[in-house]
Amino acid sequence: MPQFKQDFSPLSIEAIHDTAAARKAEGFRYVQTLAVNTEDGVDLVYSFMKDGALDNEVASGVPRDAVIPSITDLYLEAFVFENEIHDLFGVHFEGIAIDFGGNFYHLAVKEPMTIISPEQKAARDKARKIAAAKAAKEAKAKKAAEQGGAEAPAKAAAAEKAEAAADAAAKEAELEAKLAVMDPEKAAKVRAAMEAKAKKAAAAERKGE
Amino acid sequence: MGKSTIIPFGPQHPVLPEPLHLDLVVEDETVIDCIPQIGFVHRGLEKLVETRDYNQFIYVAERICGICAMGHSLGYAETVEALMGVEVPRRAEYLRVIWHELSRIHSHLLWLGLAADAFGFESMFMHCWRLRERVLDIFEKTTGGRVILSVVRVGGVNRDIDDAMLREIVSVLDGIKGDYAKIMNTLLTDTSVKNRTVGVGVISKEAALDLSMVGPFSRASDVPYDVRSFGRGAYGDLSDFQPVTDAQGDCFARVKVRCLEVLQSIEIIKELAAKIPAGDISVAVKGAPAEGAQASNVLEQPRGECYYYARGNGTKYLERMRMRTPTSQNLAGMATALKGCDLADVNMIVLTIDPCISCTER
Repeated sequence: MPQFKQDFSPLSIEAIHDTAAARKAEGFRYVQTLAVNTEDGVDLVYSFMKDGALDNEVASGVPRDAVIPSITDLYLEAFVFENEIHDLFGVHFEGIAIDFGGNFYHLAVKEPMTIISPEQKAARDKARKIAAAKAAKEAKAKKAAEQGGAEAPAKAAAAEKAEAAADAAAKEAELEAKLAVMDPEKAAKVRAAMEAKAKKAAAAERKGE
Repeated sequence: MGKSTIIPFGPQHPVLPEPLHLDLVVEDETVIDCIPQIGFVHRGLEKLVETRDYNQFIYVAERICGICAMGHSLGYAETVEALMGVEVPRRAEYLRVIWHELSRIHSHLLWLGLAADAFGFESMFMHCWRLRERVLDIFEKTTGGRVILSVVRVGGVNRDIDDAMLREIVSVLDGIKGDYAKIMNTLLTDTSVKNRTVGVGVISKEAALDLSMVGPFSRASDVPYDVRSFGRGAYGDLSDFQPVTDAQGDCFARVKVRCLEVLQSIEIIKELAAKIPAGDISVAVKGAPAEGAQASNVLEQPRGECYYYARGNGTKYLERMRMRTPTSQNLAGMATALKGCDLADVNMIVLTIDPCISCTER
């Protein structure tokens, strides 16, 4: 009984057709081709399988104006995926055996999968901000550790303050991300409520002084 | 040699339950070429993954297709579990397979009814769907839903099946088995069925391998490929699993393979119901998939191998989710099977391949 295993390996654009030819010669079954929309272009993932080993080959950062050689001369069944990727992601394949010329799907919007939705943008920004805040925190901790036990209390306080600021920034980023996903009316209400709260807090502080 | 004509077949056609279009190049009643086209019901569900977190998307995944609902939610959950390194409790794996095999029985019976209707056996269609109704009743009793079950979650299942219910499932299946064997024997020995299917739309083993065909379509051409034979999840505990195959490669072989798979699924459920271990049915899943993490997965749907791919972006929303369905893989095989056939046999060939267009167009 063959065991299922999967792996991912990198693939260059120039090597797509040669790799497919080599896989075909080795007796691999063609599984699929998919595309992922990224900021540096499109990632193409080609999958082949033999005896339970699922081999995923990832061609990262394919530019949108690149021309990809079709593998339908080797694997005819790939025509569905190549036409689909052309219509949804705008990647051009050359020499598809059954080429629909952009009419495979009847779409209301051209290349819909390349549109970055506000939700996805918010999610990406949030991930980036969290990563940045984390990196800053780690760098501070490292610096503090390097300076050893001789750290001045003022310095420690400053570090703490910076840390708190980083935390606040991360929290704010999270809130912004949440607001971006909400419908605009609700988001506006939430923003107004938050402003009112901040004003009240500031007023209370002034009174206290 | 006559003049060649192009005859459009579908997307609206009495034999097609779903919108598939074929351009048939016909010469003297013989199909010499065929160009399949889909794309009439594309809904962009893969794009929706950006606005639903990974727990919410499971309900979108199972709405991809009414017949394969259980399979899609299972395949999606398994992929996200692989992405996050979640270990599912053993009992949950058993329950998932029991529901999945039940949905295979319901899918094959649905298809058998439609096929019988296309052969001209309207009463057979009623009988098949009557049996399918009993499977749907099991779904309703165990999950509350008849088509959309919503029992799978990332990390396990939502509902347990108690021992009394398991015994009831086995007794219902035993009841179905007797009735089903009668229907199956009628269908497989009937002369008019054989006249329409034997030797029609033949795909050789070489062609099936060359076109990477999947599911009962390839197993009818003697390709012993079945994802269940990898023995993952509860399938690993089966005493013996051999894919159902047939060497003929024609329409009759495809009918036969699906017919026998129903019996095989009944045996799988009975064996698992006897072996099911006690324990938890789910684990809590916390956190989010790491940025850039990717996982792929294959699952045997009623129509064949389905491929899933997921990529995380560090938040609870997935960056990309992709399902490659068995039908899209079999479209090239279908076009090949149609070449050289009689125009009157086109509907029989298309139907025995059992295309599921709503899965294919997500």
